[in-house]
Amino acid sequence: MMDATRYRAPQASDLSMVDLDELVAIFHRASGITHLVASPVPELLIALSGRWLTLDGIEQEFELVDGNRAGLASIMDELVAAGLIERRA
Amino acid sequence: MSDPTDHDQPAQPQRRRALRIGAAGAVAVVSIRPAMAQAYGSVLTCEIPVPDPGQAGSYIDPSGKVVPAGTRGAYAPPGRPLKGEDIRRALASGGNLPGVDYERSRAYLKYVQNLRSGTTGFTCFASLQMPRR
Amino acid sequence: MKHVFGVQVGPVTFRIGSAWRKPITQLQALYRDYPKDGGVPDFTVRLAPLRPWRRWIRPAVAIGGDFVIPDAAPLPLDQGLLAAEMGMNLQMALGQRRFLLLHAAAVERDGCAIVLTGESGAGKSTLAALLQGRGWRLMADEFVLLDPMTGLIHPFPRPVSLKNDSIDVVARALPHSEWGPLISDTPKGTIRHLVPQAHAVAGAKSPARPRLLLFPRFCAAPDQRVVGAGEAFVRLTQASTNYVVLGERGFLALTRLVSDVTRVAIDYPDADTAAAMIEGLW
Repeated sequence: MMDATRYRAPQASDLSMVDLDELVAIFHRASGITHLVASPVPELLIALSGRWLTLDGIEQEFELVDGNRAGLASIMDELVAAGLIERRA
Repeated sequence: MSDPTDHDQPAQPQRRRALRIGAAGAVAVVSIRPAMAQAYGSVLTCEIPVPDPGQAGSYIDPSGKVVPAGTRGAYAPPGRPLKGEDIRRALASGGNLPGVDYERSRAYLKYVQNLRSGTTGFTCFASLQMPRR
Repeated sequence: MKHVFGVQVGPVTFRIGSAWRKPITQLQALYRDYPKDGGVPDFTVRLAPLRPWRRWIRPAVAIGGDFVIPDAAPLPLDQGLLAAEMGMNLQMALGQRRFLLLHAAAVERDGCAIVLTGESGAGKSTLAALLQGRGWRLMADEFVLLDPMTGLIHPFPRPVSLKNDSIDVVARALPHSEWGPLISDTPKGTIRHLVPQAHAVAGAKSPARPRLLLFPRFCAAPDQRVVGAGEAFVRLTQASTNYVVLGERGFLALTRLVSDVTRVAIDYPDADTAAAMIEGLW
């Protein structure tokens, strides 16, 4: 049965992203909170910017390397907990 | 022209970008929780009266609750307010407050840990919880 | 309040009011060569007795001002100068909005600055004080002021608060220095304030471009390593008292700072070694 859970990132205009060597610092304007992330998070945030995608949808745009769907789901969980990604069942 | 229902014809795959998932269990996001400005109070010695002045003289039971003076099994309050540094050390190491035996220390510390905003000493306790620089 | 003292330190003006004369007299001596601004102060500090009779009976100084910590313990009157200094620190820590504040020291040479940051007790104030004797201008020992608009460090050269053994180490290295009174039996031991050198006070209006971000640690075995920008950024957010309050301004100022500077952690057993390492990095 296909998982219909969808994820969405804030609009690009709501995030200020600055590269700091291999890490990326993100200022989330709506919350005023600063986060520090590494790849693949910035790519996910850009791909999901202002649009809802399921995990299937994400895998249609990206080929998962060095990991699998479970790893991706775990990253999404963390991003939801941090307030950077919205989730809808 | 290929027939859209002809499934023998291989579809032209879009070239997908790689998404490096990385080691399982690795942290993906670190949210910055900076030290509260009040944590700068580590420069000052902040103190927590036990119990707050409004209940001065009351006893502290082993669970940290304020109870009437003389209650059996409860402890008389410390003579002086507790120093922030001593509380921080005792909470971090599990040791006693200076000059106070184990059970009494635990009771006082439980009182401190139950402090709510608005009670005297809450700001000091809150500043003790913030990460040190 | 009965006794009043006004002073300007870099871009910030303070007004200290006191119920007792002695702390004000000591401040006047310590800040003798600093500009005394008579206008509306940026911050006010008030040294007052906790209860009216504590002005004379076991006199204790409660630190008040525009910004306060409600549960702070009062200090004995003979530590009144310390109370005034702590009061000024508190106003900056809680009230500063124009600059991003970093709990750090800074020294300058040729218009460029080194920011020395680290845990309390890591020795950054002592090191900054000692670098004065090696061709560096002291810009700050407690708070570094970063201007979010320009990325420049503005001087905030307060008297350097030195503790215990550091006092003698610095006194021997800088024999012609001026000092405040020796203050004993404080929660941190013995404290004495070192007056910054003349050119530090005279240069208190001259900002500098940050060039080197140093994480010094007083340690037996000398060592040196590069610090990544991400790590430096996180460490500095923990060293700032107003990063959150400044919002995106603070975010942009701090990401810009760590990106623009050379970032190095050094372990040093003595000032000579530290100074040599710094010259090598400069």
